Amino acid sequence: MLLADSLTGRHADATGTDVVIEVRNLSLQFGRQPLFSRMTFSVQKGQKVLIRGASGSGKSTLLSCLLGFVAPRAGQIQVQGERLTPRSVWSIRRQLGYLAQEPDLGRGTVAEALEAPFRFSANQEGGVDGGRIASLFERFLLDTDLLTQDVHHLSAGQKQRVALIGAILLNRSIYLLDEPTSALDEPSRQAVVDFFRESDATLLWISHDPRHLCQPDQVVTVTPGEDHA
Amino acid sequence: MIDIAPLRLALIYLLMLLPLSILLWYGVGMVAQVLLALLRMTCQLLLVGIYLELIFDLDLLWLNLLWITVMIGVADVSVVRGCGFRLSRFCLPLFLAMLLGVAIPLVFFIGCVLHVPNVLEARFAIPIAGMILGNCLRANIVGIGRFYGDIKDGERRYLMTLAQGATWTEAIRPFVRDAIAAALAPTTAMMATMGLVSLPGMMTGAMMGGAEPLPAIKYQIAIMVSIFASTGMTVFLAIQMTARQSFNGYGVLDLGIFVDKKK
Repeated sequence: MLLADSLTGRHADATGTDVVIEVRNLSLQFGRQPLFSRMTFSVQKGQKVLIRGASGSGKSTLLSCLLGFVAPRAGQIQVQGERLTPRSVWSIRRQLGYLAQEPDLGRGTVAEALEAPFRFSANQEGGVDGGRIASLFERFLLDTDLLTQDVHHLSAGQKQRVALIGAILLNRSIYLLDEPTSALDEPSRQAVVDFFRESDATLLWISHDPRHLCQPDQVVTVTPGEDHA
Repeated sequence: MIDIAPLRLALIYLLMLLPLSILLWYGVGMVAQVLLALLRMTCQLLLVGIYLELIFDLDLLWLNLLWITVMIGVADVSVVRGCGFRLSRFCLPLFLAMLLGVAIPLVFFIGCVLHVPNVLEARFAIPIAGMILGNCLRANIVGIGRFYGDIKDGERRYLMTLAQGATWTEAIRPFVRDAIAAALAPTTAMMATMGLVSLPGMMTGAMMGGAEPLPAIKYQIAIMVSIFASTGMTVFLAIQMTARQSFNGYGVLDLGIFVDKKK
């Protein structure tokens, strides 16, 4: 059961823990093909959640749904106590850091791609921190020389890490990561896993391989066609 | 102006023999299409010529207005079909965008620059509207087609922008910018090379009709500026007027606007 806190706008469950994402009876379909039915789960603040399931089961669509990119057939989503609606989606997205499975960094250099989101009114308070970029590049085993390179010249693994850095720079409290290490070699994969293991942020991490997120607090298994009720 | 006798006019069709032979020789497979287009062009222009003579003679305000409205309507349907959009979704907003985009430069040109008291006088309003509209049609097919096509093809980039916290206006801005640039590029290039590479139809027509070159050039300058203004306005208005209903409340493009969603 959820208890609303009218002052903070957050929700707490019966044990008093902050619930930041609440998915209730969510049913999704792709075209006319049902993906899953009545999925229910909640994520508490700071939890690391592994989302797993076979290819085509709807894992990525579930994340798209949390961002309002895909409309569910039925069910409800709440983020930080706010129900996802056409009105609230814009403020909800500003609390989420998203990494797509195949990120598109747009045009220009890597530095320009990282700076671009800071031109949006929602992100102007933060501003680009050059020192933080350098330290994140080092952390994720990237050379800062890449900053001047055209994004189209990056390898899949470099692109994935640059997109991840872009999401981290926005300082969101919840991260939705769609197979963030799928194109990475072992040392880079470990660097990403270590970073998020040390982080306080709430994490929803899609992966086929449970090793990719060591000791998740919760595992959500998406099974195609299954009624999760 | 020297009137061309019907038989002499028929001579011009001999010029078609050469390109048609090339098409046949290389098996390009569009001979029938070319011949049909040629036939349509001849019939349409002859009928319009007869009709315009009548309209010019009558010079009735409502009839001129009706004719311009029909011209805009035909251009509207051509743009919607040319871009592969659903007529039911785009017909009305595009019509309004083109109506506004054509009417403002047209009224300004005839009323303020030419100082003609009746801005809808047939011999000015209809040919000038036709020239403006013809360019708007091409620009709109490029501009609107590019705007929605780019968002559809670049869906990942567009959604990533929304996920990064952009408002809908911020997210579509680069696509609007690219669409307007693409739509205006041909008119800009045409203006930059006018007189050097090409002598435009209106100017040459006026000179062949007996006008002195300088007055004809003044008309041409005015019409080019009107065309550019109209093109820019129409493409901008068309995007603004169609965009609200083409995206859902979450800022995601509704693929139902396309006749063929997979295309």
